[in-house]
Amino acid sequence: MSRNGGDEPLVEIEGVSKRYGSIVALDGVTATVRERAVGLLGANGAGKSTLMRVMLGLIRADAGSARVLGIDASRPAWEVRRLLGYMPEHSCLPLGMTARDLVVHMGELRGLPRRVAVLRASEVLFQVGLEEERSRLIRTFSVGMKQRTNLAQAIVHSPGLVILDEPTNGLDPAGREEMLALVRRLSTELGIAVVMSSHVLEDVARTCDSVIVLREGKVAATRAIDHTSAAVRGDVRVRIVGDPDGFARAARQLGLKVHRDGGGEDGWLIVQGGDADGVLTGVRDAACTAGVGLRELRPAGPTLEESLIGAIG
Amino acid sequence: MSAADARVTDVAYSTYDGPRAGRIAAIWSLARWSSLRALGARRGWKAKVIPITLILLGFAPALVVLGLRALFGPTVFKGGLADALPYSNYTATIGIVILVFSVVVTPELVCPDRRDRTLSLYFSTAISRGDYVVGKVLAALMPILLVTLAPPLILYAGNVLFAIHPLAYVERHWADIPRIIGAGLLIGVFYALVGLAISSLTSRRAFAVGGYLAFLAIPTVVGGVLAHALNENYLRLLAFAAVPIQAARGLYPDYSDRGHLSAGLWAATSVEIMVVAIVVLAVRYGRDTG
Repeated sequence: MSRNGGDEPLVEIEGVSKRYGSIVALDGVTATVRERAVGLLGANGAGKSTLMRVMLGLIRADAGSARVLGIDASRPAWEVRRLLGYMPEHSCLPLGMTARDLVVHMGELRGLPRRVAVLRASEVLFQVGLEEERSRLIRTFSVGMKQRTNLAQAIVHSPGLVILDEPTNGLDPAGREEMLALVRRLSTELGIAVVMSSHVLEDVARTCDSVIVLREGKVAATRAIDHTSAAVRGDVRVRIVGDPDGFARAARQLGLKVHRDGGGEDGWLIVQGGDADGVLTGVRDAACTAGVGLRELRPAGPTLEESLIGAIG
Repeated sequence: MSAADARVTDVAYSTYDGPRAGRIAAIWSLARWSSLRALGARRGWKAKVIPITLILLGFAPALVVLGLRALFGPTVFKGGLADALPYSNYTATIGIVILVFSVVVTPELVCPDRRDRTLSLYFSTAISRGDYVVGKVLAALMPILLVTLAPPLILYAGNVLFAIHPLAYVERHWADIPRIIGAGLLIGVFYALVGLAISSLTSRRAFAVGGYLAFLAIPTVVGGVLAHALNENYLRLLAFAAVPIQAARGLYPDYSDRGHLSAGLWAATSVEIMVVAIVVLAVRYGRDTG
């Protein structure tokens, strides 16, 4: 689904290469973004930021083409940029402005009439949880509040697609949790497609529907993220020290489903039953009730990490 | 409305499908926000004091002359109200105010953007690098015109108001209006471009102010000393602070120069300096990608 109609992809990247002197930042990258939330995953220097800047038309690719929301990103770049939101990685907010003034200003720069920009600034600052602090100077904000202001300016103009460059960078655990929840809300509740870069797989897995892995400027793997997969649901494989049948009975009494995986006395048991916390609590309680020990406990299916590692090779 | 009718309404995020303005509106928005902030709008009182004081000083000669005329009647100035403060001399009279004002305003327009690394944010919107420079030049020009254009226009309006026959005054002095506008624009554009070019070289406002003052003052002093010592009038063209004001005076019929340099020479020097400033801005803000 895309904002620009029908099944047209949100982003189409075809053989994009970019070189800075002797350094190859992107090497023939080809990717298509159709999902509402896509993660760009890779280590520092993998080419994530360069690819985002190509999408925004901020830099021209040496070869290849990029179409964003159906518009050629390289020409005229300003036309596509006013339909996109962008949250840069580094701190780039004018510290002497209030959050409200900045968001209004950025809305105007992206084509909103002034009156609309003022109204929408209040809306988005509310959405990111800064309604009480909107009149404070940005220099008085914490890192987390700055990041939320950064996100607010990126979505004030109701973009079809928002590009987030390492949105959790520099945040403490609580701030990271809040930011990840906000990013997930963009695509699931606010109707804004998301392309998010990160070098943390968990961040991508929690907020995106698919992932594109970049390594040394190339696409190393692409995977859909199944939020209903066994790994995400919390199904586990356990190996018991003691009586596995006793453990299975106890677990079933707690409402869990248990079946053997692999057969034999030393085989694995698969335990299923609702969310991850519920399964783990059930396994613990069943082990206590049956008087058995847990030798190993693993996610039931291959994790996204295992899947990606397998794909990258 | 009773309390029972009241309800809590969530501030929902709505999509916007209305018209979106283009680059021109974005440039204008950048110019408007930047110029207002340079004048201290939506900032503390400390940021407002200096620009507002300088603007008032720029208006002071006109207000004094018109005030005296209003208080003491038409006989207060022997040569007539218009001769008390000729339009051709107005910007020279407040030359130091114009200079200090531009030194205060122009670094504020670009230095914080570099210091806070806001440029990447701006360039992710509808404006390109070229648009940014145009917007900042407009942002510098608008406040500077408050001291180069508005005061002589106020003086002109006062002269019309206090003239015994206002229509006859306008008939005799209509040509002064384009001269006032031309002079105000020339001086304004000069100081806007030069101030921005020097300020674009650093992210530190203090360095920009110092560099700007040095650029205007050092050649002026050196040129003056050498011109006197060598008896070479052309060296007076190094008086960069005076260059646009002398060029602007050339727009008036009563132009004179103590070094007998023509107005065209001052104007050519002004243009050369402005071209250099444009080149500096082009280099500093790089290739336009959009």
